[in-house]
Amino acid sequence: MNPLSSADTTDETAEAPADEAVETVEVDERRQAVVDQFTELLGDAVVQSHIRPGDDVWIRVTRDAWATTADVARNRLGFTFFDFLSAMDWLPSPFGRDMDAQEDTSGAVAVDDADASPGEADADAGPVALETGYAGGDTRFQLLARVYDVRNHIGVTFRADLPDDDLAAPTWSTTYLGADWHEREVREMFGINFIGHPHMVNLYLPGEFEGYPLRKDFPLLARRVKPWPGIVDVEQMPTDGDEDAGDLRCRRRCRRQ
Amino acid sequence: MAKLDGEQVVRCEPIPGYMHRGYEKLCEVRTYPQVTTLVNRIDWLGSFANEVPFILAAEKLMDVEAPPRAQVIRTILFELSRLGNISLFLGDLGIQLGGLTIGFYAFRDREFVLNQIESATGGRFHPNFDRIGGIKDDLPKGWIAETKRAMDRIRRLCDEFEELVLGNEIFAARTRGVGVIPSDVALSYGMSGANLRATGVDWDLRRDACPPGLSYDLADWKVWTHPDGDSYARTWVRLQEVRESTHIVDQLLDSIPSGPIMAKVPRIIKVPAGEAYVATENPLGEMGYYVVSKGDLVPFRVKIRSASFNNISVVPWVSRGVIIPDLITIMASLYFILGDIDR
Amino acid sequence: MGLVESGKMPKPLTTLLSLSRKYSLWVYQWGLACCAIEMGSAFASPRYDVMRLGVIPFPASPRQADLVVISGTVTDKMAPAVKRLYDQMPDPKYVISMGSCANCGGPYWDSYSVTKGVDQIIPVDVYVPGCPPRPEALLEGIILLQERIGTEDMSKRWRGEPIVVS
Repeated sequence: MNPLSSADTTDETAEAPADEAVETVEVDERRQAVVDQFTELLGDAVVQSHIRPGDDVWIRVTRDAWATTADVARNRLGFTFFDFLSAMDWLPSPFGRDMDAQEDTSGAVAVDDADASPGEADADAGPVALETGYAGGDTRFQLLARVYDVRNHIGVTFRADLPDDDLAAPTWSTTYLGADWHEREVREMFGINFIGHPHMVNLYLPGEFEGYPLRKDFPLLARRVKPWPGIVDVEQMPTDGDEDAGDLRCRRRCRRQ
Repeated sequence: MAKLDGEQVVRCEPIPGYMHRGYEKLCEVRTYPQVTTLVNRIDWLGSFANEVPFILAAEKLMDVEAPPRAQVIRTILFELSRLGNISLFLGDLGIQLGGLTIGFYAFRDREFVLNQIESATGGRFHPNFDRIGGIKDDLPKGWIAETKRAMDRIRRLCDEFEELVLGNEIFAARTRGVGVIPSDVALSYGMSGANLRATGVDWDLRRDACPPGLSYDLADWKVWTHPDGDSYARTWVRLQEVRESTHIVDQLLDSIPSGPIMAKVPRIIKVPAGEAYVATENPLGEMGYYVVSKGDLVPFRVKIRSASFNNISVVPWVSRGVIIPDLITIMASLYFILGDIDR
Repeated sequence: MGLVESGKMPKPLTTLLSLSRKYSLWVYQWGLACCAIEMGSAFASPRYDVMRLGVIPFPASPRQADLVVISGTVTDKMAPAVKRLYDQMPDPKYVISMGSCANCGGPYWDSYSVTKGVDQIIPVDVYVPGCPPRPEALLEGIILLQERIGTEDMSKRWRGEPIVVS
């Protein structure tokens, strides 16, 4: 699996590997101009950016500049259309195959298999290496928001790192009115608080609901009770050469019987 | 939940969540082909339209493109689901405002569209027909002529609606000037689709930002806008949208190219690592999927941007100071689908 | 009416009562999700026309209904409302669970917010499978329910015993 790396960064001059350099020969001037405008107006607050030519642009800002970013985007640069606001949890799933990973992590841990594939053993032990997406990131939680310019037909996706010990960010709902509900949703799904939000109550879930469902460490209990039948149908291609997965599956099936 | 002063609404706050099924979490535990089964059911009136942006996002990440024939058929089905959806809106609006007749008409003529969707895909409601790299099957024999007849029926329904409802004095009195939303507020709330076009913003994702994989460029059609931003404008724009949509279908039916319907994709779909946001102009407005993949069988994260969620979040703003009967008009004309709000 | 209350009624009277209840079902539409549209097609569209089966789909409130069709996904947030609706209906009352979601959770079987089957909250008489079931399937379910009402022993119902369709 290739790490998600930022193809062209504005703030640092790290040399990209040769194959990536070939891919980024194509330059998207419109989107580069957008990045330049934001860098000019926000200054150091723009941490990193990523452009996929002809498609999309990602800009990572600091958390302190989160509200300023919205203000600049809407009132200075004409990104008037509010698309969505959400968050990301970059923690790799701690549950394994009955949740969303391909490998049978939880099963392997339960029977104390020493030969579980490498990388899983230290999932419980040390801090997990986070693999974040375009425009990088250092923390487990990231805010994600997208705005659009309906005149020039160009959209920008913003993200901002949130430190684990202080999951809070300034609200966007004063700038983009539609962010109101989106922030309420993010609050109950990820447990991220928004400072200055006028009416922070649950949107979807009943008040007594415990936990934050979209965090990666939130288990789907029904899957605990009854293993998912779906993934067994997915057989490995012979060319995949992934014999471990087949072994695990056999073992799991045997254990169940 | 509405706080009233006599018959006047002081503050009205919709309470969603009664239909919250946790899509974004469930998408994280299903493989890519399985997700389409699930997302069919977000906006249940225009089911096929829900699959398409997700499939397009996956195609973008995999760098696959469907063959031209598949693209055209996909676009036709996309528009048929729009017709199935909005024709029910036309009926529902009548029912909400007390004119039952048009409701029966809409149910009657909608069946013709559903029949076409069913005979092509096998599913009346939830086709689950779109695949990464193409579509599942080719069209059945005689489908094109049948569909053209269905389009005629829908156009006739539009005429009936125009005479029966739009030309009705009572309807005009109940909708004109009710629930006016200016364009800057609509944009700020992220309203999209006909609701946005009814405020005068000339923006249609099909025309302006059509993602690769749909072939709207083969048809000649018009995006209608209305300057008023009230309930009447929203209804009117939707009516024109239905008409244009039938014309798109008619033109595309005549221009289906021959060729394969599936591109070459591996049997086990593993999507390479990356992120993509693809949005299409769904019946209710902009629907987009922000898909984050880590190269696995399942998506790492799917953020579903559904149209009704943003469209309905404007209700607290627009309902201040209106009277209760107007609230019904506003809600009906904003047109939401519960599953699309709550996901 | 003492006889009726104790359930010991003469057979002809039972037959007559069952027959009349069978063909004047007032059905309350409790549409929750996709199935609500198919239920709407079955009940309100001229093509399927449910009234020919002696079913009247327009009671103003559950207090006037004999039958409720729970169509669609019941979420944990909605569950108390479903229970209250059922409690408000007068006896004898029947429930049709329409669609996979109401039957067992359907495609949301592993969701954190969906009730896995409406029968966890209220007793169900007829399950209509499908996702969503076609309108014809719902009509078939209603006919099955009518059969059941026709052969029902009222005294058993009064005693709360399960009824088996013969």
